[in-house]
Amino acid sequence: MKLTRRGTLSGMAATAAVLAAPMRVRAATGEINVMLFAQPYTQGLRNIAADFEKETGIRANVDVVGQDVFESRINLTFTGGTGEVDVVHVPAIQAQKWREASWIRPVDDYLDALTSRSDLLKGPMDSYLVAGQQWGVPFAAGVGMMAYRKDLLDRVGSGAPDTWADMLAVAKQIHSDDVAAVALRAAPGQGFNMFIFPMFMRAYGGKFFADYVGGDLTPAVNSPENLEALKIYIDLLNNYGPQGVGTFNFPEITASMQNGQVAMTIEGSGVVSLIIDPATSKYADQMGIAVPPGGPAGRSPAIAVHGMGIPASSRNPDGAARFISWATSTETVRKIALNEPFIDFVNGSLARDKDLVTKYGNIQPDLLNVRVAALEQTIGHYRPLLPNWDEIGAAIGENVNGALNGLYSPEDALEAAQDEMEMLASF
Amino acid sequence: MDDKSFAYRAKKASGIAMMLAFLAFAVLPILWVLILSLRPATALFEPIWESPTNLTFDNFRGIADSGFPRALLNSFLTAGIATILSMIVGVPAAFALAKSRLRGKFVASWVLLLLRMAPPVGFVIPLFLIYINAGLIDTYPGLIMAYMTLTLPLVVWSMWTTFAQIPNELIESALMDGASLAKALVLVVIPAARPGVVAAAILGFLIAWNDFFFALIITRGSTVTAPVSIMNFISSDSVDWGSIAVAAICVTLPIIPVMVIANRYIVQSLSGAVKG
Repeated sequence: MKLTRRGTLSGMAATAAVLAAPMRVRAATGEINVMLFAQPYTQGLRNIAADFEKETGIRANVDVVGQDVFESRINLTFTGGTGEVDVVHVPAIQAQKWREASWIRPVDDYLDALTSRSDLLKGPMDSYLVAGQQWGVPFAAGVGMMAYRKDLLDRVGSGAPDTWADMLAVAKQIHSDDVAAVALRAAPGQGFNMFIFPMFMRAYGGKFFADYVGGDLTPAVNSPENLEALKIYIDLLNNYGPQGVGTFNFPEITASMQNGQVAMTIEGSGVVSLIIDPATSKYADQMGIAVPPGGPAGRSPAIAVHGMGIPASSRNPDGAARFISWATSTETVRKIALNEPFIDFVNGSLARDKDLVTKYGNIQPDLLNVRVAALEQTIGHYRPLLPNWDEIGAAIGENVNGALNGLYSPEDALEAAQDEMEMLASF
Repeated sequence: MDDKSFAYRAKKASGIAMMLAFLAFAVLPILWVLILSLRPATALFEPIWESPTNLTFDNFRGIADSGFPRALLNSFLTAGIATILSMIVGVPAAFALAKSRLRGKFVASWVLLLLRMAPPVGFVIPLFLIYINAGLIDTYPGLIMAYMTLTLPLVVWSMWTTFAQIPNELIESALMDGASLAKALVLVVIPAARPGVVAAAILGFLIAWNDFFFALIITRGSTVTAPVSIMNFISSDSVDWGSIAVAAICVTLPIIPVMVIANRYIVQSLSGAVKG
């Protein structure tokens, strides 16, 4: 075959046209770009995004990526003020930081137009209420739940432990070389061990600050209550946990529960739904679920709220608001909850939806009820809603993990956490 | 004699044992990933000897239905085009640098080396902002250009040293036979430097194929590549180990035949096959 100049140029032009196709798509009008990180809800939302275009004529390019990928990309997008993203995934724990950095804009003007405004639960909605303004709309609330092997606990005549002390007592009886009694998140991080440890703290009356609600943010993490909580957390894991539990995070816990290597755990409801699902768990038929244990000061299940917001640099905030309204509508969320393994919805009426009750009842009859019971006992500021919570949570988490792994005594760990909090508070 | 024979056999046996140990070290992780890819979710972490027949192709089917095949195609397309363009530009450039009496060759060599040494994270923010303003985010040309910042210096640098080994007499005789410089390059020099050319192309392709960082920053839904796409199997609630194992196999497999075919050339290139 002989190459001619015209043929070569035509070939190059055709190649360039094909390669530039994505660029042309982005340049079209009536579009919004949505960036979310992978969860059952967001994956389900991407799968039905064409419905939004059918309803509104606005094309939504929904990009669902891994959480690490999301964080890298969104940090660049925000700091560059690029305007390439119109709707962004906003974990409630990040809302304050992003607001203070002026990375997201308030959505108050769009709230009245939300399709299912009255059906969205107040607690998760309020997670985005900062300084009298709303900075996001929730779509999911993962809540701490307990999953346990009924057969093993039955053997020692126990039901789901009501308190951490009860859990320790049961752990002593059921722990064996084959099946460890308990596994909890231990890896350091505000979303890892600091998702779990505050449940212990609050059960014993501990807190992060002298009076968070009243506005006194004097660090108070080295209190006797927190020390008692840390000691029982360490006792449970070091003496009745599986080998290597000092670095465990949710993937290891999920795997060891699904494979029958651990008898009890407290995890987010999304993880618990995988642990008790017959499709993914060998011991699903032996699993029981309950609200997490409490202590002398009561019970405070962990909560992690996820929602959507509008970046300050969005070029199409009105289109973004319409998307958020559609995506959080009860009808859309119901569709996703039916299509995907998604129980963390914040649309109140869905807990009574017949089809959903049937679907999740088949996995575990009590699943939706226990989730609602746990949700009702949560507090919005389970992890303080502060702009620098990332740093504070990480500092406490490192010290808690250090104490668990024997690097320091519990007393020294909390003193070190207190010092670091004081230093961070001084900035 | 017997003693010597025994010593010889012992030495050989220990050599084989060491080789097997190294082989196990290299192969076992691959075998493990292969087993993971074939296990159902309920048996992912169960030892294979406890349920050797509990195997499924569900993970492969799941991957086929996901966006991963598209990401794999994107990887092929962008790494392949970046390599081809780098060869088209880099080989003549390397030839010129190796054989002409240009001033500033020393500076050019250092600039090229610095380009190779500069960590991408050092210039990612300006690159990202330029790409945003130029509309190059999530486009193939954008990703290919970014990859060429990795592959082009590698091609030029490696081909420069290869061409330097080609005797000038070979080029002069081609010129004396009436060939133009371009013809001498294409018909005489490149065939003589074939191992180096193949090695440069393969190494360039592998660098682009394995890139994570540029793809992480520049791609979105349309042009995402396989290494970034694998990360999407990790959510905040779960890690889809079965899919990750299948994806890892998909990313690794295409490289194996390429490496087997190119192995001879790479070895020749590294050992300096072109003799004066």
